Amino acid sequence: MSNMKTMFDLNRADSQGGIVETMNQGPQHATINALEVRNLNFFYGAFQGLKNINLDIEQGKVTAFIGPSGCGKSTLLRTLNRMYDLYPGQRAEGEISFYGQNILEPGQDLNLLRSRIGMVFQKPTPFPMSIYENIAFGVRLYEKLSRSEMDERVEWALNKAALWNEAKDKLSQSGLSLSGGQQQRLCIARAVAVKPSVILLDEPTSALDPISTGKIEELIHELKNEYTIAIVTHNMQQAARVSDYTAYMYLGSLIEYGKTDEIFIKPKRKETEDYITGRFG
Amino acid sequence: MIRSANINPEIFARRKRTNKIGLTLSMAAMGLGMIFLLWILSVLFIKGFGAIDLNLFTHSTPAPGSEDGGLANAIVGSLMLVGCCTLLSTPIGVLAGLYLSEYGDRSRVASVTRFVTDIMLSAPSIVIGLFVYAFVVAQVRHFSGWAGTIALALIAIPVVVRTTENMLRLVPGSLREAAYALGAPKWKVAFMITLRAAQSGVMTGILLSLARVSGETAPLLFTALNNQFFSTNMNAPMANLPVVIFQFAMSPYDNWVDLAWGGALLITFAVLGLNILARVVFSQKVQG
Amino acid sequence: MPDKHLSSQFDADLNSLSSRLLEMGGLVESQIATAMRAFTQMDIDTCNVVIENEKLVNDLEIQIDSACTELIARRQPTARDLRLVMAVSKAITNLERAGDEAERVAKRTRRLIESGVPNNINVAEIRLSGQMAISLLRRSLDAFARLDTVAAADVVQEDRQIDEEFRAFVRKLITYMMEDPHTITTGLDMLTIAKAIERIGDHAKNIAEFVIYIAKGSDVRHMPHEDLVREANKQ
Repeated sequence: MSNMKTMFDLNRADSQGGIVETMNQGPQHATINALEVRNLNFFYGAFQGLKNINLDIEQGKVTAFIGPSGCGKSTLLRTLNRMYDLYPGQRAEGEISFYGQNILEPGQDLNLLRSRIGMVFQKPTPFPMSIYENIAFGVRLYEKLSRSEMDERVEWALNKAALWNEAKDKLSQSGLSLSGGQQQRLCIARAVAVKPSVILLDEPTSALDPISTGKIEELIHELKNEYTIAIVTHNMQQAARVSDYTAYMYLGSLIEYGKTDEIFIKPKRKETEDYITGRFG
Repeated sequence: MIRSANINPEIFARRKRTNKIGLTLSMAAMGLGMIFLLWILSVLFIKGFGAIDLNLFTHSTPAPGSEDGGLANAIVGSLMLVGCCTLLSTPIGVLAGLYLSEYGDRSRVASVTRFVTDIMLSAPSIVIGLFVYAFVVAQVRHFSGWAGTIALALIAIPVVVRTTENMLRLVPGSLREAAYALGAPKWKVAFMITLRAAQSGVMTGILLSLARVSGETAPLLFTALNNQFFSTNMNAPMANLPVVIFQFAMSPYDNWVDLAWGGALLITFAVLGLNILARVVFSQKVQG
Repeated sequence: MPDKHLSSQFDADLNSLSSRLLEMGGLVESQIATAMRAFTQMDIDTCNVVIENEKLVNDLEIQIDSACTELIARRQPTARDLRLVMAVSKAITNLERAGDEAERVAKRTRRLIESGVPNNINVAEIRLSGQMAISLLRRSLDAFARLDTVAAADVVQEDRQIDEEFRAFVRKLITYMMEDPHTITTGLDMLTIAKAIERIGDHAKNIAEFVIYIAKGSDVRHMPHEDLVREANKQ
């Protein structure tokens, strides 16, 4: 049973029942969803990790997933780019519509899908190659660029990740020679370089210090104009800071989903309120 | 809450004593091991050093009774045998290790392969030599360098397979996932990312397999045999250091015995050098 | 369902905030009652008590506001906790101003006494609305303590009665002052006192509105009454 309203309802009504214009929307009324999840159930063998998830991820916005450990938020994220396919015994049922195309259907080109829906992980994982090659690797998978075009793309991606100034003089040095925060930004540059539609972030700043965390949050804010972003975080304040929409999950179910302001000032469900105010039973 | 320094001198003295006893015992054990090691090395040096001169590298093995001579043919022969063995065993071993780690993780074929590899690792090398004798040498009715190469490869491949697989397994799954997340197909992830991340470990495995086969004698006895003269024909019996040492060490000729020591020293140097090289290569990976 | 934070210190801080608000409310309540007594009995000593104690009210406002700020800085409260802190911060302003009104009543009363002019105006309305104002304030604080939104909605409704009484009194005053211009000075002081009581009622109403905000999340200030009642009864 889902208590989720459609995006349309949440956009229109405010607490006083009046019609409100949401700031980013401008004159258009229909929201475009990059991903629509319908009746998603997920199984690790016999154990059900996700229970009947219904949710939209709006294009050009940041959607955050919060919840206690084991609630299924990372599991949900990994179904969005079919990462779970790498592991036998994990399976998903239901429908995930990516701009109209159901990505759970068998016979999908998973590699191509993953280049359209990128992912950055909790632990920074630069490839054992130079910084330049780290970025060029992903680009070369699906595009054929000349040397100068590739140089441009690398520079563009590093700029997008706010790493160009720090890295431009050491492009040929190993990616592992960067600091932790820089490595994570390199991973973000890598993901951005292939120009996906959606970027999935799985606790991207858990392993980083506050300053690196702040830089990456700033990055998310700049990236969201051109990319749809979904972020899993166990830091509620981070979700409050960076996201437009927040989804609260618990034990595999979606408890509440709505605009971040509403969730953090006036959540609809008591479970949500208990979690975000720190009342853990 | 304890508000004083509370340092008990008696307990401290007891701990110091225990520490001293433990330290003494471990050092004694180490000393014992080191004594024998140094003894072997020093005997090798003393006996073999005398034979090291330019002749060793320029003259071939002498005929019985003749004077001087060197080990040139044996050195070249060993190099060729080990070299060809490497060329044969490295691709097979690395690819097999790659398969076991990346593709066949839980399949029946993979577990059988691992089992067989483990058996081969501890198979007596003379059995392998005999096997190659029966299936290669006896078929063509002559000994050859190729047969020797095959025998050595059969010893080297399991080593390379095992170390490659282990080194690849050490590569964290998160690195592979990062590559998959970009849309890379499985083979690219395996070759360009995982293998590359493990490359110094894999290289170390290859070097160690070289070190292992450089000193193998038994397999060569039935396959490459030996050649008194200088030859680079792999189709014919090939001179090689281990068999030469085997032959010369127990001979009544003094110059043969000297040459045997010299050969033993050379092999020791080679194995030592390969081991040191393997360590250096591996430590570079750890730093980088 | 858990009602305690993982951090018991956080619980203690929030509870302390609420109880200090109630403490301040109690003080203001007694100030008003004392001021009304001073007015009814025309006793100058009682007036001075109120005027001296006004300082305590101001001090409490500053302390509680500081506690609110500290709580926000340390705990980054969200949802219900956040609304509580915001509401407390605003409610103490209302209480402080109510305290100011009580002081004003006392000061004007003192002036009336000192002027020596005998009072001919029937001040029953003032006494009545004074009692109503005290009751309203007590009830709004009570509603706050129990986060009872239905009681709070009632408070909002009944503030209108105080407003009615005030308007009635003003009409009466005007009549008196027109009949006998000598009473104008006294009358103006009376007017100020009546106005102060009316304002106290408004402050009680504001506190009641905050109760609905904390409990339901709706900001019902400036809302038409039917909508307010609907919000208060929502579950």
